[in-house]
Amino acid sequence: MRVHGLWKRFGEQIAVSGIDLVLPAGRFVGLVGPNGAGKTTTLSMITGLLRPDQGTVEIAGHDVWRDPAAVKARIGVLPEGLRLFERLSGRELLSYTGRLRGVPGAEVDKRATQLLDVLDLAGAQHKLVVDYSTGMRKKIGLAAALLHNPEVLFLDEPFEGVDPVSAQTIRGVLERYTASGATVVFSSHVMELVESLCDWVAVMAAGRIRADGPLAEVRGEAPSLQEAFLQLVGAGGRSAGTDLDWLGGGGR
Amino acid sequence: MTTVPTTDVPAAPAGPGGPGTVRLTPLVVRLKLSLLRNGLRQSAGRRAVYLTSLVLVSLFAVLQLLGLIALRGNAHADSVTVLLLALMGLGWAVMPLFFPGGDETLDPTRLVMLPLRPRPLVRALLAASLVGIGPLFTLCLLVGSVISVAHGAAAFAVGVLAVVLGLLVCVALARAVAAANTRLLTSRKGRDLAVLSGLVIAVGAQFVNFGAQRLGAAGGLDPLDPVAAVLRWVPPAAAIGAVDAVSEGSYGRAAAQLLLSAAALAGLLALWTRTLTRLMTAPDASTLNAAEPAAREKAGRAGGPARLLPAGRIGTVVERSLRYVWRDPKTKSAWATSLAIGVIVPVFNALQGTGSVYFACFASGMLGIQMYNQFGQDTSAFWTVAMTISSPRDALAELRGRALALLLITLPYATLVTVLTTALLGAWAKLPEVLGLSFALLGAMLATGAWSSARFPYSIPQEGYKNVVPAQVGVAWISIFGGMIAAALLSAPAIAAAIWLNVSAGGEDRAWLLLPAGAAYGAALTVLGLRLAAPRTAARLPEILLAVSKG
Ligand SMILES: Nc1ncnc2c1ncn2[C@@H]1O[C@H](COP(=O)(O)OP(=O)(O)OP(=O)(O)O)[C@@H](O)[C@H]1O
Ligand SMILES: [Mg+2]
Repeated sequence: MRVHGLWKRFGEQIAVSGIDLVLPAGRFVGLVGPNGAGKTTTLSMITGLLRPDQGTVEIAGHDVWRDPAAVKARIGVLPEGLRLFERLSGRELLSYTGRLRGVPGAEVDKRATQLLDVLDLAGAQHKLVVDYSTGMRKKIGLAAALLHNPEVLFLDEPFEGVDPVSAQTIRGVLERYTASGATVVFSSHVMELVESLCDWVAVMAAGRIRADGPLAEVRGEAPSLQEAFLQLVGAGGRSAGTDLDWLGGGGR
Repeated sequence: MTTVPTTDVPAAPAGPGGPGTVRLTPLVVRLKLSLLRNGLRQSAGRRAVYLTSLVLVSLFAVLQLLGLIALRGNAHADSVTVLLLALMGLGWAVMPLFFPGGDETLDPTRLVMLPLRPRPLVRALLAASLVGIGPLFTLCLLVGSVISVAHGAAAFAVGVLAVVLGLLVCVALARAVAAANTRLLTSRKGRDLAVLSGLVIAVGAQFVNFGAQRLGAAGGLDPLDPVAAVLRWVPPAAAIGAVDAVSEGSYGRAAAQLLLSAAALAGLLALWTRTLTRLMTAPDASTLNAAEPAAREKAGRAGGPARLLPAGRIGTVVERSLRYVWRDPKTKSAWATSLAIGVIVPVFNALQGTGSVYFACFASGMLGIQMYNQFGQDTSAFWTVAMTISSPRDALAELRGRALALLLITLPYATLVTVLTTALLGAWAKLPEVLGLSFALLGAMLATGAWSSARFPYSIPQEGYKNVVPAQVGVAWISIFGGMIAAALLSAPAIAAAIWLNVSAGGEDRAWLLLPAGAAYGAALTVLGLRLAAPRTAARLPEILLAVSKG
């Protein structure tokens, strides 16, 4: 996957300012950065959900904006902040998405059953998605993204709100999936998770890539990815506790 | 209110400066003013709209004031003022359903986290509601009404009270309805009731229509008197009724009417407080009502009629669209309103003897509106659709599926309404002609609807009762009204043919030709419209997604 000169501004605010990124295939790639760094914006532009002001994105040799048919068939997406068709039940949602993707009906139903089982959603499959909890929504979104067996998977904060058991399951599913040669790109705020899962990391801050490369390279001398991250985004010295001395202690 | 949900929040004793002693009312009024100002600062378009409406409304209010003052001494002054005020009350009750933007600045559910007791909160919100164009207009109307009916010092004294009471009743009515409606649309149970609200609006509109017709037929204000005799007992008009009663010297009646107004105000405030408390303590009752697995299982399996749908994208889309008509509260109430108006206008008019068979076209016209802003109805879930459209061909299949879902309901319905109307009027000779016109109109609506769905998409907010976000009001108007004008123009050939066949000698024998011709013309328009809309949709996916994600 290649990204070249990607640029997006919202009014005055430049959300992403000229990103160049080359990601290897078959890897587990983590995209990290502070809030508002532009991770969601970048992933939306890469997956064709948001039109960039400038720049090109190429996935598996196809340009996202010039050859959308080839790209969209090959990728799966779990966006952040966008709804699902919430008035469908979990199973109906999977069946709808799979059929829209052009997977034959019987195959969709088979895969949906397996995914619902693995993700521990079988008990809630006939509930409307509008009644799902945050973590359940993430899981059904993930199932919908996996349903057509994409080559590249883009996940925006897939572990947010997911319980530890399901997180472990999702990790297992994703690890098996990358082992078979597929690529996963995901954004996260949990450094330990990124450190243990990913073999390639890109750090974003203020709309730019601060560092990217194999995990060990980005971590460099620092004892952990957490430390390296804090140094990279320039927040090493900032600490709580200097102000806010009124906080706590029971007074008003 | 016995349970106050927020009392346990502050652990510390509420000493000086505690939440109990905060002067809430001025605070909330100032909050509203700054929200209003910021909203206007945000966009020049909104500023222009706001200022224009302010000027227009003020002008209208002044004219009305002058008119009412001129009416002083007229024999019908009391009836007219009472009726005007009753209409005003109706307007306040209905306004939040249509133009919730009127008081969007203060959404009480935003204050949920603050430790506020319901009573002071209601008082403060009521005061804040008095700031705005609507209350100003109502104030002018009330003052004008009092001047027009009050005779004597006592009457004017009561008039002051009447103005205050009338204004408060109007504002409280709007807030109570808005709060109740919010609850209605956010709770899952409410989706069935939402249908009801659509019906009420449709029937109410029809009654106003009949009233106006009656008045026009009678050619004078005399028929108003019996209506006004009833309405003068209904708040907020009862307040003006009281002023009139004092002028005539019947103090007992005046006291009763004033009491009635005060009771109405108290009742509305209590209702509002109750809804507000429930909104703030149980904002999401929807998750409580878990689905019945067995029932869903039956509905969920693609059994029965679903199996008849074509395989592939079109069938999938049809199935999803039809499910949404039934399950999504916004979509459902829009459909219910369309279905109700579509049958009420032609059939009621036929029953009244004022109808014409051509009114039957209303059914297809009203239902055709549902084709507009197709993607806005998806909300930001449209990304699922966007991810799976990679060519104009996919977009065409998507649009065809949506049009087909609409036709599955609309075609039989429009046919039924047309047959019913012709039966009521006994004008069987006209049936083929009207059916042909109906189909042509439906085709034109589908074509323009598909095109404007791609070209002018806008968000339909899911929370609350709004149908358009403030920033997109312009787009929504272009989409719907521009689309309807275009649809009317497109169906002009069919209308012209109908007129020509009716006026030309011997044309009536050939009028049946309009049925196949109209149907074919409508079908051709639909096919063409979808074909034109598909490449636009495919090319504008990110823009459409952005436009429909603002809800
Ligand atoms: N639709 C929009 N309109 C205006 N500004 C936007 C929009 N979307 C994002 N932004 C701005 O762009 C910047 C980047 O946002 P983005 O959502 O990509 O951040 P993020 O890295 O995903 O943050 P987080 O970790 O909090 O999810 C932010 O400053 C945000 O305010
Ligand atoms: Mg984000």
